[in-house]
Amino acid sequence: MTDTTLTPPPADAPVRIRRRRGSPAERGDRSVVRSIGIIIVWISVIIGVLLLAWIFIQSLRDTRSILGNPFGLPESLHWENYVEAWTSGEFGIAAWNSFTVTIISSVLTVVVAAPAAYFLGRVKTPLTEGLIFYFILGLGIPAQVILIPLFIMLNQFYLTDSLLGLNIVYIGVSMPFTVFLLVGFFRSLPEEVEEAAALDGASPWGTMWRIAMPLAKGGILTAFILQVISHWNETLLAITLLQTAEKYTLPVALIAFIQKQTYSGADWGGEFAGICLIVLPMLALYLFVGTKLSAGLTVGIGK
Amino acid sequence: MSTAATPTLSDASAADSTRGRGGGRRKSKSAPTGIIDRQRRKLLIPLVGPAFIFYTVLFIIPSIWAIWISLHDWAGLGPMKFVGLRNYTLIAQDPLFQQSFLNTLKLLFIVGVVIFVVAFALSLVLRDMWGKSAVRSIIFFPHLVNALVYGALAGFIFNPNGLVNKILLVFGVEAPPLWLKSDNIFPIIMATLVLTMTGYYTTILMAGVDRIPPSLFEDCALAGANAWQRLRYVILPLTWDIFGTCAVLWTITSVKIFEVVWLFGGGAAGGAPPLETWTVAVFTYVTAFGGKTIPAYGQATAAAIISLLLVLVLVVLLRRLMRREALEF
Repeated sequence: MTDTTLTPPPADAPVRIRRRRGSPAERGDRSVVRSIGIIIVWISVIIGVLLLAWIFIQSLRDTRSILGNPFGLPESLHWENYVEAWTSGEFGIAAWNSFTVTIISSVLTVVVAAPAAYFLGRVKTPLTEGLIFYFILGLGIPAQVILIPLFIMLNQFYLTDSLLGLNIVYIGVSMPFTVFLLVGFFRSLPEEVEEAAALDGASPWGTMWRIAMPLAKGGILTAFILQVISHWNETLLAITLLQTAEKYTLPVALIAFIQKQTYSGADWGGEFAGICLIVLPMLALYLFVGTKLSAGLTVGIGK
Repeated sequence: MSTAATPTLSDASAADSTRGRGGGRRKSKSAPTGIIDRQRRKLLIPLVGPAFIFYTVLFIIPSIWAIWISLHDWAGLGPMKFVGLRNYTLIAQDPLFQQSFLNTLKLLFIVGVVIFVVAFALSLVLRDMWGKSAVRSIIFFPHLVNALVYGALAGFIFNPNGLVNKILLVFGVEAPPLWLKSDNIFPIIMATLVLTMTGYYTTILMAGVDRIPPSLFEDCALAGANAWQRLRYVILPLTWDIFGTCAVLWTITSVKIFEVVWLFGGGAAGGAPPLETWTVAVFTYVTAFGGKTIPAYGQATAAAIISLLLVLVLVVLLRRLMRREALEF
């Protein structure tokens, strides 16, 4: 989209748009297929945004009017859907559980993984190369493989149906990705500053905490946010390890709520409120950190 | 399987060592940095130890134990009875597992190919489109939403009084198909996955297309290359490695698909979704924790190990297939 043309901007708008694309040499190629593609992209993007808005609107309506007219706007704001979902649907306690588990496990994941990644990224010996490989191995193991052994192991230590147990599990299963991501990140940082610090007499330990970690703040924050997203949404391990409603995280609570409906009749207002409790925090986070996030997710890949 | 990420890592270290050869590498042999290195190496256990322990105890040991459990007849309580590979032959003959495995393969290959074609086309269209970054941010968002939500929404959108039928009524369709009939659900799940996952892969591919220097496109235009030639001789060769990584990512993602299936269409009374829609992950979960019958841990883990083998085989094959010389540009 950079304007590399040297010609002055012409007066009429359509031509200007045409000129703005690429270099003069490229100007020739604009095909019908492309235009159709662009139209399809915009239509689907608009539908997506409308769908999200629609979900939120529905969460403020009562079940009968939702069924009567799915496109309608709320006549009055039914915040009681949230109140209802928060109390009787047990989404309230689940939201709190999800929040604490997500924050605690994500912080600890990064605290545990960052020093390891620093060491593995900086020291290059056959041992560290082997260890990196060992960590990466976990990326390819589907969660269902460890489901049953984990359940049995935790059961022996009374850590099933416990948020402490879930936290520990989340830290363990997040290691491969976080270590992988941060090793790549530490390697992309210049080593010279650390060398200078060491020459000034800083211990390796001090160099790491006072020089390397602050320099790597961006990468560590990215790793943290990615863990927040994955722990907030994690379902399979949570549904396996948690059994009582007071321990449920939001995804498990949503499953329980919807399954209860098959007996007690549909409560669409409450269901949409539950869905919003899962989606909106992610939306808020995304709006807050913005595109840095997608840049983070594609970091090692699009090097 | 691991190798998911190795290409980039080894690339990084390769680039590192080449850079280092200029000065850093030789310098690191010299006295001060050598000492730093030696001192730093003493920190192996305090720095790597905790991560190593968490990972080994909660990930690697359970994985190895899973292989062991899959060779036994076990209901969780009571003794384990060694049965060799019988669990594997049992589930191989089980029509329900065959169905689940077939569904997982469908997700892996059919949905995978569609996602890739669409994502690649999108990344080309978006390359120099007006509002590119806004579109990119929006289509990435579905990746951040728990797939359970899509399943639950589908229950509303496709139910007899739901959104789709209301829209169809406007067009005069009086007798719409029964969308949520158990035969119809799986194709709808596949469509949902395409709609929600494509944005993520588009973002990754776009990061690749973006690194191609604009001068190359200009060159193409000056040389009179048409769109196809530009794709064939410039874009594809320069994004090839990213395709490989994406394919590995999708392989790993698709074999553990569980959430979207679990609630799709509103959830069934008994807890488990309709049999026609099961994936291997659902099969594993229900066989072990379904609660209807005695848990068959052996068979459940055998199914999980088969999905692990699937990942392993495909990742090795993909690495073979996608191996090419890395192009410098």
